[in-house]
Amino acid sequence: MKRLSLAFATLLLWGAAACAAAEEAAPAVTARDAPNDAGGAVNVAWEPAAAEKEAAFTGYEVQRRASGEKEFVKVDRTAPGELAFRDEEAEDGVEYEYRVQALAAGEKAVVLGTASAKASGQWFNTARTNALIGVIFVTAVIVFFIYRAKGGAELFVRKIAGLEAVDEAIGRATEMGKPILYVTGLGDASDIATIAAMTILAKVARKTAEYETPLIVPCYDPIVMIVEKEMVKQAYTEAGKPDAFDEDSVFFVTQSQFGYVAAVDGIMLREKPATNFYMGAFYAESLILAETGAETGAIQIAGTDRVTQLPFFITACDYTLMGEELYAATAYLGRDPLFLGSLKGQDWAKGVIMAFLILGTILLIFSTDLGLRFAKLFETAG
Amino acid sequence: MELSDVKTILATDCGSTTTKAILIKKEGDEYRLQVRGEAPTTVEKPAEDVTRGVLNAVGEVEELTGRKLIADHKVLVAEGKDEGVDIYMSTSSAGGGLQMMVAGVVKTMTAESAQRAALGAGAIVMDVLASNDGRLPHQKIEAIRRLRPDMILLSGGIDGGTISHVVELAELIGAADPRPRFGAGFQLPVIYAGNKVARPIIEGTLGEKTSLYVVDNIRPVLERENLGPARNEIHNLFMEHVMAQAPGYSKLMSWTAVPIMPTPAAVGAIIQTIAEREGFEVIGVDIGGATTDIFSVFQKVFNRTVSANLGMSYSISNVLAEAGLPDIIRWVPFPKSQLDERDLRDRIRNKMIRPTTIPQTLTELVIEQAIAREALRLAFVQHKELAVGLKGIQQERTISDAFTQTMTGETLVNMLTLDMLVGSGGTLSHAPRRVQAALMLIDGFRPEAVTFLAVDSIFMMPQLGVLSTVMPDAATQVFERDCLVRLGSCVAPVGNGKKGQTCLKITADWPGRGHVEEEVKYGEMARLPLAVDERVKARLDPVRPFDLGHGKGQTLEAELEGGVAGVIFDCRGRPLNLPQDETARVDALQRWLAALDVYPNHGSSEAA
Repeated sequence: MKRLSLAFATLLLWGAAACAAAEEAAPAVTARDAPNDAGGAVNVAWEPAAAEKEAAFTGYEVQRRASGEKEFVKVDRTAPGELAFRDEEAEDGVEYEYRVQALAAGEKAVVLGTASAKASGQWFNTARTNALIGVIFVTAVIVFFIYRAKGGAELFVRKIAGLEAVDEAIGRATEMGKPILYVTGLGDASDIATIAAMTILAKVARKTAEYETPLIVPCYDPIVMIVEKEMVKQAYTEAGKPDAFDEDSVFFVTQSQFGYVAAVDGIMLREKPATNFYMGAFYAESLILAETGAETGAIQIAGTDRVTQLPFFITACDYTLMGEELYAATAYLGRDPLFLGSLKGQDWAKGVIMAFLILGTILLIFSTDLGLRFAKLFETAG
Repeated sequence: MELSDVKTILATDCGSTTTKAILIKKEGDEYRLQVRGEAPTTVEKPAEDVTRGVLNAVGEVEELTGRKLIADHKVLVAEGKDEGVDIYMSTSSAGGGLQMMVAGVVKTMTAESAQRAALGAGAIVMDVLASNDGRLPHQKIEAIRRLRPDMILLSGGIDGGTISHVVELAELIGAADPRPRFGAGFQLPVIYAGNKVARPIIEGTLGEKTSLYVVDNIRPVLERENLGPARNEIHNLFMEHVMAQAPGYSKLMSWTAVPIMPTPAAVGAIIQTIAEREGFEVIGVDIGGATTDIFSVFQKVFNRTVSANLGMSYSISNVLAEAGLPDIIRWVPFPKSQLDERDLRDRIRNKMIRPTTIPQTLTELVIEQAIAREALRLAFVQHKELAVGLKGIQQERTISDAFTQTMTGETLVNMLTLDMLVGSGGTLSHAPRRVQAALMLIDGFRPEAVTFLAVDSIFMMPQLGVLSTVMPDAATQVFERDCLVRLGSCVAPVGNGKKGQTCLKITADWPGRGHVEEEVKYGEMARLPLAVDERVKARLDPVRPFDLGHGKGQTLEAELEGGVAGVIFDCRGRPLNLPQDETARVDALQRWLAALDVYPNHGSSEAA
């Protein structure tokens, strides 16, 4: 019993001592490494000074000194009520001591306290956990569909008229004994629309090789020309007709926008291609090309992700691939499980995102508070 | 003699197994069928003379009417007299009919047009050669040599279009050095209906090796099809080369007043005539033992397809192979436990090797009709694939087309606008109860909205077809009054709903029933008796989401026509989905059969 009383008393004393220490240790100034950053920043915060409500009070001054330095150097001055400062000029790994002074007109500065901290970068940004979850979800969905496609599952992809019509367009050129014109726009080789256009070109070239129909590919960009020439050559080889490939069928025209348009229009009027493809990045030249092609009586299939050019293509061409349909073309035409699975996975992911958007909108309509809370789940700042 | 003065018409159809003769007589202002006779076809040994069968069939007509129709071993044509007939004509499908190969540059363009031209002329298309058909040249040559067609139709390129592709096809035909089926000493007839610029080269390539005939291009431009000249040439060559070589046909040709037509071409002719005169959209089907022919007229465009591997006797095993046993069994209203799968396969194969047998028990009849449903369905799928608009033509767009970019080459078949569905062939024409034929047609074709159903009573459409080429009024009168057995209208709302929900409300003053207000639930069928030639103006209210062609839930005021099967209300939904669960499926089938009174004992497996 005696031993128990002694233990209890010890616990009480320890508790009281701890409380006293806490009261004493409650610092007026704190300095901490800024969280979820790449380093080089320290957050400094302080309690309001007792004199803050007085009329003469003018604000706070934050000073800093690195370890080993004697003098504090002013790094910032804040207005009354502004009780935090983010030092973004700190060096990683260097210990800094921060001192905050309260300033009042005609009075000596009062030191509120000091605090030390080292800046460092974090490996994981906890504020972006939601993004990580999103990435894992999308990746999992894509991988799931790729495996399904590889396993032989029939993945439904809605009919895209513009791509369904590729065979028909090439057939028309064959019956008419006329060439096919393939324009990949004004984008360079790093433009995603141009890359998509080049993959479609490979499929079209393979068909033209099979049908033994001439193909004309005038290029705006010399690098794009080199890539396309190789792709067309490869397509003819794969079709078993390497000798049918004409080196001059893929050629560089000019990098002047309207010079290029004039040249392509000239080809249309002289050669009268039965089928024109416009795939890739297009600007002001879209309508000029499409109108000239329509006048020559050609079937025209266009595809671009440039939203401003879509109305021109839709009205002047027979079929138009709009936005992402252009990117989906590779999967659609090739039916490769990898592309098909990716396409399907991305569609599902987009579907889920759209569902969240709708849910968020509904929540915001019925309860602003709930809607904002829901929106916070998707914030990635910090 | 003026055609308006013709009072008696004799027409024969020389089929592969039977020769059918009909005698048509003018009574007052109307032409009516008088009598029909038939006899075995005698194109093969021992007789090897088609006219023997013709005379036997006509002899039967002669006996039945007491009118002298034969004199000096030939049909007596004695214009305006009390004996003989004023005009005699015939069709023929004996010896396998007209068998053709067609060739074109692109399979879905000129090759498809060539196929339509040949099918429309009444041919069976044995193979379609195209530059892009994926076969190597030696495989194409081997196919031409192996199949030995009666003639080849070569097309390709628009006028002024490709030359190299069509010449390449001509070279393949030349290299195959093909021989015709009939007439060992004759050259194979080849009709060239392609790019006119290529004609001299084609003549140089094929002129000496084949019997070459040049006609206008079937696709002078891609936007237009010009099938007439090629079809006419096919008919001419059918007479000159195929018929003239077949045993007895030269004699038969000398008797007829108009050229002998291939049987399917004649059926197509009467279907076209009816569609034109009535402004109908119509489908005709002839389900035979070896083949199933489908004819259609939609948007005033005639199409015919032959499913050469779908039939009810010689080809019945192909139906089993193509449809699969589960798809056939799904129409049988007994549990699988009552059906021995092996026994069923044996029955089907027995029908193939004994094609003239007919079902002896109710079970056999139910199974045969289940197979017929699948044969009709499969043949119709093939028909829809060929009855399409022209492909590869330039389109005009507006901004409103952004999300509805329709393609060229869509099927012309639209079941919502179909007015009439006519069935023919033993399985349909000789079904023990007419309502069985009606249900086979409904299950096979799945008509939508309001469609009139009929069957050919004694398969006289071929004779009426050849008659329609010279006397369309007479052909139409006999077709409507004597040829068709009117089954009645079928009302089928489009869409699917929840089990037990009301699908259709019917309001009408019904003969013999007074004011009728009926409701039919989704998943059910109903029948209201309405005699032949009786008509009812009905208000049909489909309940949302069902549609009778005017929009979901929109009322349709329609005139329903009666027939031997009455008016059938098919509320099973479109597309038609049979229950997957076996118990539910059998239960549903039995309900439908009972509602329409299709089989005695409502389709139980007891022998009839």
